[in-house]
Order: sequence, then structure tokens, then C-alpha cells
Amino acid sequence: MKTVKIGSGSASWGDMMEPGIDLIEQGDIQYLGLDHLAELTLSILQRWKAKDPKKGYIPDVIPFMKGLLPPARKHGTKILCNSGGANPEAAGEVVAQIAKEFGMEGLKIGIVLGDDLLPRLKEFKDQGVKFENMETGEEDIDRVADRIVAANAYIGAESIIEALEAGADVVITGRASDNALYVGPLMHEFGWKFEEPYWDKIGAAVTIGHIIECGACSSGSMSSQWRKVDDPGNVRNPMAEVDENAAAIISKIDGPGGLVNSGTVKEHLVYEVHDPYNYLMPDGIADFASAKLEDIAPNKVRVTEIKGKPRPEKLKVCMGYREGFIGEGQVWFPGPDAFEKAQWAEKWARRRLEIMNAQYDELRIDYMGVNILHGNTVPFPPPYAKDMYECGLRFVVRTKTYEEADRLKRIPTWLWTHGPVGSACGQPLPVRPVIGLWPTLIPRELVPTRMVIKEVK
Amino acid sequence: MLKDLAYARSGDKGDIVNIGVMAFSPENYQLLKKKLTPEKIKEHFGSDVKGDVVIYKMPNLNSLEIVMNGALGGGATRTLALDQTGKAKGQSLLYMEIDAD
Repeated sequence: MKTVKIGSGSASWGDMMEPGIDLIEQGDIQYLGLDHLAELTLSILQRWKAKDPKKGYIPDVIPFMKGLLPPARKHGTKILCNSGGANPEAAGEVVAQIAKEFGMEGLKIGIVLGDDLLPRLKEFKDQGVKFENMETGEEDIDRVADRIVAANAYIGAESIIEALEAGADVVITGRASDNALYVGPLMHEFGWKFEEPYWDKIGAAVTIGHIIECGACSSGSMSSQWRKVDDPGNVRNPMAEVDENAAAIISKIDGPGGLVNSGTVKEHLVYEVHDPYNYLMPDGIADFASAKLEDIAPNKVRVTEIKGKPRPEKLKVCMGYREGFIGEGQVWFPGPDAFEKAQWAEKWARRRLEIMNAQYDELRIDYMGVNILHGNTVPFPPPYAKDMYECGLRFVVRTKTYEEADRLKRIPTWLWTHGPVGSACGQPLPVRPVIGLWPTLIPRELVPTRMVIKEVK
Repeated sequence: MLKDLAYARSGDKGDIVNIGVMAFSPENYQLLKKKLTPEKIKEHFGSDVKGDVVIYKMPNLNSLEIVMNGALGGGATRTLALDQTGKAKGQSLLYMEIDAD
């Protein structure tokens, strides 16, 4: 029976490159997917593109392609990435240039376009298309319209498949769903179509894509089984061998590093999912509650019996809008009496805010080592307060203006020399812009996608 | 405590945090199905979770998917919390007391 082997080479912007190289060289994979985008990454990339029309893609695409293209060329592995961000065409140019420098004449780069809705918002407004906020129910974007900096539809695999059919060795997209980078090659290889009787198979492809798309997060990273992972630091990414019935074996390359078992796969099947019976992706709807997991060998898990439903009529759209600034700083206090010193410093900071007539929309003060992660769920003050050798205070404000955030974030740094004796505040953090998220939907037919092939000469 | 009965992993989408609770055994799953209710979850997180909590059952994985709305201060890029993507929230839930009656 025909099988196809796909692997994951990146889960986010800034992820490691070596696990992807290892998969190409030792995993015998035919396709490697690279996810480089989070929900609001496009807001950053659109800003870069506005400053320089040749930018707006994920800069990591440069070192990644320099590292991955030579082994991929040697082993015949195709690479799919959404690193194009706000500017897939510019990313395509850069990758073509890298391939040219390697002497890879004839390499074909498929560039997928159509997800960027920012230039079309006025057109939609004129047509009466409304973008209801999926989380708050607010009817349309009028209140934030003049502050929107990015609007991208999560597009599916259609144009990725077209690019593969046209012989692309590398596919670069903008905001394709991470998942489509894995669904695309499977549908292309097995000839599955967006119609009956393929919805179960596409549902399985969506599920398999979900299992591997966050890189090592299903192969031993971010795992509750962290103690069982041998050779920590030698991270291994997951791969899936999928057959034409859409059954899959999830594994990693042999040898030390990483861990794959039904537990690590399960951890990912419940990760960042809402209704597991209806996991909505642009290419199909998967029922994760139908999946059967079996440990068939060390570091090999068989995934079968997945059900699917036809793809949704609407695509998800993430819009980002400017929503002020965050100023942040920290200061640490040594024992004796570290916790008591931190409490004294909190009073100092709150009094200072009054004296400065501070203008902020939200303030948060955390006690580092006490409640910075667990928030209101831990007892405060902690029962061990008197025994703390050191304790830190984290101070964060959200403001309407950059200037006010810059003014207020100095408070923790003042506590370096004006707080109780012995404190340290480290290097101050820069003020950062806040991007609000407006999740919404758009009818699929309003977002046609297309692909262009760029051949390295 | 929940940590003696299950693993947990959490993550974000927008202002929503979800926690996958994976019971160590089918028996634990049966117990947790009864004990982990939206009300109990809301009570555990207090003002850190402002919206509704919905729980989905996944018998195939002996797991529960807990979806908490309004749990991330407006979302990863807006929240003032250090845990911008809610990944610590699942671990926080592991401290929840569960009576095995």
C-alpha cells in the first residue's frame, strides 16, 4: 500500500532548525512543513512591510532555507512553509536567491497568495460584509476599523496542492493554516478531493497535521512525561507515515532524544483544541474523539479510525488592531525578609503611581517565585513567606500612549536605589505595542487563493 | 489532588485558554468526569477566568477538554500576565483537590 512520510521542522518563529535537518537526513521524509506564524504575527510583519515593501516575511526563512535546502535537494524532500507572512512574494524572491547561490537551477518555488485581506477591507465594507467578533459578539469592526494593522484569512491547502501539482519543490504561503502545510501534501499524493467520499480521510489528515504541526510538542517537548525523555536538549521532531486509508504511524528518528508514545500524542490531541468533536480547519472538520491510538513499538504510535466532516463554509479571519502600549519592569529583593521587602516595594510603587498622576488602563503586580504563573489560585501571602531567600516584583501597565508606558515602567527601576536595601532590577525592557485580536469569519468564496511558480534560473 | 490522577496541558486561542486533562486510567477518567464541573473550574481560577467554562468528554483518550472563555486578559498580545499563552493554567489546575468518594 502506498505510504507518504511527512515531518515537522518548525512550530513557531524562532524555533530550532537542527531537528528538521535531522528529519530530512535520517527520517526518509518526502515533505517537511515549517510553521512560523502565531495568531498575531502578521501584525508585526505588516508593520515591517509598510516600512519596506521587500520585507514582511519571517526573517528566519533565510537561515532555515540555507540549512534545509541542501539536504532537501539531496534527499528529494519538499519543503512547505508559511514563512511568507505578510509578503510571500518577497520571501519567494529571497529563497530563490539562496537557491541560486547554491547552484540549484531548476528548483521550483510555489508561492501561495490570497490570504491578506487588509487591502480589501474597504471593498468588503462597501459590499456590506460584516465581521462579527467571535469572542465578544460585537457586530462589526467599526469601533477599531481605523486601528486595524492586519487582517488575514486562515486559508487551506487548495493552492498548496496546485503548487505541488505544478512540481514545486518549495511552497511558501502567508497565513495558510499550519495544518494545511500537512494536509496539502497528503491530498496531493493520494488524490483526495474536497468532496465525498474523502471527508473522513481529510479529517484524518487534519488530525495527523495537528499532531505534528507543533514540532516536538508531540515528541517529548512540553510533555508531562518530561522525566522520561532521554538526552534532554537533543530535541527530535515528529514525523507521520500515512497510508492511502489515512491510517498513520507517528514516530521520530531512531536513537536518543525525544519521546513518542500514546501519551505524547494524546497530549497534543488535547492541545489548543476547543470542541474536539469538531476541530475546524479550512480543509475539513476532524473528530479527535474518534481517534484510536496504539503503541505498536518504542517511539511508534499508530493512529486510526478518525472521522471527518465537510470543510466549513466560512474561513476564520484574525484581525489585529492597535490597542495601546505595555510598560514592564522587575525588581528583586534579597533576604533577610525578602518577601516583606517586596511588599514594602509594592506599596512604594502604588504610592508613586498616585504622585505621578499615572494614566493607565490596567496595572498588574506579580510576586516572582510566588504567584507570577499561578495567579489567584495560590495562597497569598504564601505560607513560606518568612523563609524566602529572595523574592521579585514584576510591574506591568497598559497605557494609551507610548510616552506614558515609558514613564511608568521606570517605577521598578527606581526601586533599585530607592527600595529596601540590596535590590537589583536587571536590564529595563523596552515599551511594546499592544495588538488587540479580532477573531472573525468570512464566507470562503470571498477569499479566492492562487499560486505562482518561480523557477530558479 | 488532580495531579495524582491526571496529566494536564493547556494553551490559548484568542482570549480562550483550554486545558486538556488526561486521566491516568479509565477509572480516574470516570471519577474526573463527575468531579470536574464548569462550576468547580470557575471556583478554582476565581477572577482569573472571567467567562464561561465548557467541558468536552473524550472517552477515547480518557481525557477531558476544558475550555475557559475570558481567561487570558484579552489574549496573548494584550494580557499583562507573564504566562501570555496560558500554558501554566493546566499545571495550576493540577493542584485542585478532588474527593474520591
